[in-house]
Amino acid sequence: MTDLMIEADDVGKKFGEVAALTGVDLGVPRGTVLGLLGHNGAGKTTLVNILSTVLPPSDGTARVAGHDVVREGHEVRRRIGLTGQFASVDEQLTGEENLVMIARLLGADRRQARQRSGELLEAFDLTAAAKRKASTYSGGMRRRLDLASSLIGHPEVVFLDEPTTGLDPASRVALWEIVEGLVGDGTTVLLTTQYLEEADRLADQITVLSAGRVVAAGTAAQLKADVGQRTVTVVLEEPADASPALRALREAGLAPMHDAERHALTTPVESSRQLAVVVRALDDVNVDFVELNLHEPTLDDVYLTLTGRQAA
Amino acid sequence: MSTVTAERPTVRTAESGGAGWQGSSVFTQVMVFAGRSLRALREPRLLIMSLIQPFVMLVLFSQVFRGIANGPGFPAGANYIDYLMPAILVTTSTQSAMGAGAGLANDLRNGVLGRFRAMPVRLVSVLVGRSLYDLVRNTLQLGILLVAAAALFGFAPAGGVVGTLCALALALFVGWGVSWVLIALASWLRNVEVMQMVGFIAMFPLMFASSAFVPVGGMPEWLQAVARVNPLTYAVDASRGLAFGSATASSVVGALVTSAALALVGGALAARGIRRP
Repeated sequence: MTDLMIEADDVGKKFGEVAALTGVDLGVPRGTVLGLLGHNGAGKTTLVNILSTVLPPSDGTARVAGHDVVREGHEVRRRIGLTGQFASVDEQLTGEENLVMIARLLGADRRQARQRSGELLEAFDLTAAAKRKASTYSGGMRRRLDLASSLIGHPEVVFLDEPTTGLDPASRVALWEIVEGLVGDGTTVLLTTQYLEEADRLADQITVLSAGRVVAAGTAAQLKADVGQRTVTVVLEEPADASPALRALREAGLAPMHDAERHALTTPVESSRQLAVVVRALDDVNVDFVELNLHEPTLDDVYLTLTGRQAA
Repeated sequence: MSTVTAERPTVRTAESGGAGWQGSSVFTQVMVFAGRSLRALREPRLLIMSLIQPFVMLVLFSQVFRGIANGPGFPAGANYIDYLMPAILVTTSTQSAMGAGAGLANDLRNGVLGRFRAMPVRLVSVLVGRSLYDLVRNTLQLGILLVAAAALFGFAPAGGVVGTLCALALALFVGWGVSWVLIALASWLRNVEVMQMVGFIAMFPLMFASSAFVPVGGMPEWLQAVARVNPLTYAVDASRGLAFGSATASSVVGALVTSAALALVGGALAARGIRRP
């Protein structure tokens, strides 16, 4: 048995003449999180819809939990949970009724359905609101109920399409913890997001989509190392030292920039060892500084570089 | 404001070997979906609202058109209320069917259907559940109207209780058949406003250019022609025949067969429509 829980092979999707996805390959091992990064219109939701059998692909094949999403859609649907971009809870029902309904549809009897709903209401901090209509819930509560609905059948693979969009920071962190808990239990998660911080924190592997194509894939660290630039920032003690310091750094083979407001010099470096070059150069011209920082590239840098490269 | 748990919630999933649930039968699915809609009746407001119009019609027509009982083409010896009520059953039932389309379109707009698409569920059971709910609601509605007509306006047709119940059953079946046409439309169009317009526009000519309120014989020639091709005329005549205890087999069978055909064609189209993403 293969240990890949999500596999996509050259998946494409066309809506009429418009190609929403082209040649997407994915492989997500069991019990890991794949972060699907991309901005609006990059094709994230389309890909999630194909993998969750909601949309058929126009090209290529995909398997989820070992079953083909087209030929064995029913088997796939039995093993997945989907939380879409817009909370799909039934507003006319109470929180508990929502969960019981989903459990019953998955084959639970009344007693099992109520028991499992109770567990999830508890886990998602919704017990107090269990008997209230979902229409009275806050955005964060709705998201939690939505997520609880997709987990009620113990899915092996969970798709989360921008699960934290529109949530306040506290609810976002709470949701992250839920996802971490899921993965700890062996669930495989595919998470789409526009937030780099989210992908950085949750994802084992990140795939960056732009205009329907995969433009990069790897761990957060790999992506950063691939395209990101490390920089060293020096904050000078004496503003007047700026020009000798700039000259010294240029002579040392660096390309510093001057931020006059902060009395700071910033220069890209190739490796952390070049910190020593910076220090030596400044020491040679007797420049004192109050701060010296090495900045790792952020995923934002990665993302902007990649999507910019694609657009160019 | 909602509180947020700091500790990691335990929601055991894959590792625990799953719930072992083997999926539900189509019957369970239909019952779950019907039950979901039926919860709307917890608020009697909806039922009361939908009763207002037929009730107003019952009051107005029974008083305004009383004199028609002496006019041409009217069954001899019958009260107008006895003539009117079987028609009100059919028109109210048909009107509810029009509402079923808008109701389904609203359901489809509700995000919860998106979830069902990614679940091991037959989407057609969403439709059958909805239709079952409409049938229950309609039965309640027509039952209340019948009791009101008997208690307040002295409705007591020649066919007696049996005839009245047969007329009720026929009206429900006709409404059910028509509802499938609207369900089919809704599953393709998926637009609440459009469905409301369709119901509104279709209902009025169907209702008034028919034998529902006045005998066809008393209408201008052109309207008679319209009323004679209006299927509602035949449904109303069959219902009235049953209530009067004078129904012909062909009129009743005609109404039943037509309704069944509508349900069949509508159901097939709806099942295709709902599967579109």
